[in-house]
Amino acid sequence: MTDLSAAPGKPSEPILTVTNLTQRVDLGRESLTILQGVSLQIKRSESVAIVGRSGSGKTTLLGLLAGLDTPSEGEVVLEGKTISRLSEDQRAALRARRVGFVFQSFQLLPALSALENVMLPLELADFADPAARARDLLERVGLGDRLTHTPRQLSGGEQQRVAIARAFACEPVILFADEPTGNLDNQTGQEIQDLLMALNREQGTTLVMVTHDETLAARCQRRLTIEAGHLDAGKEVTA
Amino acid sequence: MSASRSIGSIARDWRQRDVKVVLSALVIAVATVAIIALFASQLQRTLITSASAFLAGDRQLEAEHGVPIPSQWREEARNRGLRTARMVEFATMLAGGERFQLVSVKAVSDNYPLRGQIEYQNAAGSDRQMVARGPRPGEIWVNPRLMRLLELEVGDAVEIGNLTLSVSGLLLREPDGGFNMSALAPRVMMHADDVPATGVIQEGSRVEYVNLFAGEGSALEGFYQWLQPRLGPSHEWESIRDGATLSDALERAERFLLLGGSIAVLLASVAVAVASRQYAVGQRDTVALLKTLGLPGYRIARLYMARLLVWGAVGTIGGLLVALPVYAFLNNLMARVLEQEVPFAVDVPALAPALATAVVALFAFAYPPIRRLRNVPAMRVLRSQPGESGGKAWTDILVAMVAIFALVWLYAREITLVLALIGGLVALLAVLALLAWTMVMALRRVHGGGNAWRLALVGLYRHRRASLSQMAVFAMTLMLASTLILVRTSLLADWQAQLPEQTPNHFLINIAPGAVDDVESFWQQRGQGLDALYPMVRGRLTEINGEPVRQVVSKDDSVNALNRELNLTWMETLPEDNRIVAGQWLNDQQSEGVSVEAELAAELGVDVGDVLGFTVGSETIAEPITSIRTVQWESMKPNFYMAFPPGGALEGLPATWITSFYLPPDQKPALNEFTRQFPTVSLLEVDHIIERIQQIVRQVTQAIEAILALILAASLVVMAAVVSATLQDRQREGALLRTLGGRQSLLVRSTMLEFGLAGLLAGILGVLAAETAVWALQYRMFGGEFRWHWQVALPIPLVSAVVLAILGRWQLRPVLSVSPMLLLRRLE
Repeated sequence: MTDLSAAPGKPSEPILTVTNLTQRVDLGRESLTILQGVSLQIKRSESVAIVGRSGSGKTTLLGLLAGLDTPSEGEVVLEGKTISRLSEDQRAALRARRVGFVFQSFQLLPALSALENVMLPLELADFADPAARARDLLERVGLGDRLTHTPRQLSGGEQQRVAIARAFACEPVILFADEPTGNLDNQTGQEIQDLLMALNREQGTTLVMVTHDETLAARCQRRLTIEAGHLDAGKEVTA
Repeated sequence: MSASRSIGSIARDWRQRDVKVVLSALVIAVATVAIIALFASQLQRTLITSASAFLAGDRQLEAEHGVPIPSQWREEARNRGLRTARMVEFATMLAGGERFQLVSVKAVSDNYPLRGQIEYQNAAGSDRQMVARGPRPGEIWVNPRLMRLLELEVGDAVEIGNLTLSVSGLLLREPDGGFNMSALAPRVMMHADDVPATGVIQEGSRVEYVNLFAGEGSALEGFYQWLQPRLGPSHEWESIRDGATLSDALERAERFLLLGGSIAVLLASVAVAVASRQYAVGQRDTVALLKTLGLPGYRIARLYMARLLVWGAVGTIGGLLVALPVYAFLNNLMARVLEQEVPFAVDVPALAPALATAVVALFAFAYPPIRRLRNVPAMRVLRSQPGESGGKAWTDILVAMVAIFALVWLYAREITLVLALIGGLVALLAVLALLAWTMVMALRRVHGGGNAWRLALVGLYRHRRASLSQMAVFAMTLMLASTLILVRTSLLADWQAQLPEQTPNHFLINIAPGAVDDVESFWQQRGQGLDALYPMVRGRLTEINGEPVRQVVSKDDSVNALNRELNLTWMETLPEDNRIVAGQWLNDQQSEGVSVEAELAAELGVDVGDVLGFTVGSETIAEPITSIRTVQWESMKPNFYMAFPPGGALEGLPATWITSFYLPPDQKPALNEFTRQFPTVSLLEVDHIIERIQQIVRQVTQAIEAILALILAASLVVMAAVVSATLQDRQREGALLRTLGGRQSLLVRSTMLEFGLAGLLAGILGVLAAETAVWALQYRMFGGEFRWHWQVALPIPLVSAVVLAILGRWQLRPVLSVSPMLLLRRLE
């Protein structure tokens, strides 16, 4: 077991605790092990990068941490709640209020305008004035003049900024990002990184990111390396 | 060209999913249209064949005035591959035992009947048999009543003229035993070759010669072309379509099948249009890529043209491969239901325009948007700048619709039908536009939330483009299906009304004025009420406004009613099913005037106020027309061309009475008693004719139900295809909503509500448009009166709402069962 005790000077309370997480996929007769015995802890307001080669199991781990999927073995405890013991609806409610997502391919709804895309989680969580808050968020990510544009009319960087505005809309305590800069050029990727880090600082949101981007990983407080489904303890680096 | 080939394969692989959608839409469309076109044309042939039993052949050639039909004509028909038979009909005296009786003889050749069968018995009390032949030479089959009248047994000898014949069976029913007032004497059937030996047919005898023909429609048509110039005024060429009661039912059934086929063509076009459009939109990236690879516009156009051609061919062949086994299966099913042989035949002319429609729809909806893209700079395509797309979609759709309606017209050759369907669609689109505007106005202020209703409404609003175009397609589909449902309902109701359960099936004719009361009380004692009794005076129409009728009505117009004596009557009240179309019905005090049947009045060119002159025996009478009325000839009740007021011109002229009544089968024995007690009254039994007509109407009904079922299945397929066109977008959205914390139950409820609402609106629109189309169709094609069909129309929007809600739930399946993370990746 890797020792993951809290670093001094930070709020010691872990927001996310993972114990002996294993994920297998049934392929008919045999089963494929994607993750094997992963244990880790993430503290409140911490920023963590999960790195590793393609196919090492990073995205699967992220999905399990966020409660989008249930593990074959082991457990994930988010804010004191064991995710695998929650019902699908309870997990959904947890995601609606406490969790944000950013995807590599943005995942904006093409039929909806930028504003409507950001309003979506606010409406699901029954916020009072979703339009006003969404407008405010889009202004903060620098898209105040692109509210009515549909995703097709926005550049990649702009689309990812809409996605970030959407992810932070409900003021989540933890944000999961899957290769947030993977589809962007260096310059734009840099801007997105700045934005994520700024929001992390301002709102105290915990950041958990899967990335190939060295500069992004370097800006995180901690780096976890996954290799062939195992968490490589030797490579954990704390910034 | 290897470069273009490799680029071609890029185009193929780039959006394989879209290609699959287009191809499956094509296969479904072609299969549906092919099945319906083939089945409808088969049904039509089968119905005609089945109904042709009424003529004992497909066509009849009658020669009156005792002139035989030249045998060369039959020779010619046989050379053209037709089968022929001949009959001679005449009235003569038959001697049996000690007695004589006037009989109506039908002498038939070996092949008779070409269609249908004769029902007969070997001996009284033995089994009834259906045979496809008449008596052999030297034999005679006799009507059972004649057997009793003359106290004959099977095996007895009877004489007709100079010839002695042996009674070999009881003639129960002949297929073409039509409804003929002049043939009231009991029927006997003998062989045609025996007729000369009887010596009863002399120059000028009242004899009717009939030839029967059966075979392929084209051969019959060709033979008629050959025959037509040779026909004289005494010849009459008849097909089953010329008879009153059945032809009407058949004609309407044929039109229904045509309508069904046309609707299938339109449904198929809708399915292909949706898929093609989707495909074209999905090709933007590929086109942009091809441009960046340096392919010039004309090469891109050529590439897609070739691609669409290949898919059109593949889809058409695939559709036919699906259609033929299904059609063969339906054929077998039909043969079993109708209990008759149904040969497997593929009617290519019926199929061709239908198949063309699918390919035309493919090109019309897929090609123009792609063609336009080739002139747009690659970057603008990739970036999808506003204003660049969609603007010309309306002209595309308009052009495509014109092309498709032209094809429907080619298929149906019925301009009313095409116009009615276009009218319905235009009405539909107009209301839809209004609805769209209302929706945008009303829903703009609605915001979503944890509430399924709000989420559903917001969904409708946010996806208004997709929702509206889907709704338009659903509404069109529902309109087409509803049109068929509504037409079917009113057709069946009309037929039911024409020959209801207790349609009079017996006529009493020649009742002497003094016997009327006795006849009435005879039946009253047996619990059988008679319908209205009418007096009948035989007279000939001789003058119109003082001029001889032959001069007024030109000889080219063969007005049948002028060639024979008419039955004139007087009546106090207008029969229930008659309707005055001009003038006024005779009032109580009035004893002048005459009411004329509408069609005859039109043929004669007379109107209210014209004076008609009649010759009755040696007397002449002249009366002004006071009203024109329509008559239900197919009602199987006594109907009259000319009706006078009581106490009018007919008063005092020699009259007999006629009536009709319904007699249940189990009361048939009472007829023997009746004929013994009233030997002078002629009894006409039409129960078996009515039974046959009802049987054919039942067959027609089953045919209509089958087509309707096929169309409904096709509509469901189209709706499913439309839903699946946006399946991925919907699933991605569902997965994303789950990621963002939307609960499953909320997702399910809001999706079902959204689809249900769209289904309800589309259903309402579709039914309204269908009523518009039916109004036009009813008016021009099916001859009935238009009524709103609330009881049929009301459930349609509800059913459509439920069906779409289920479809919506169905497409959500993977969203609920697969982890949203995986689904989002899979859908990327």
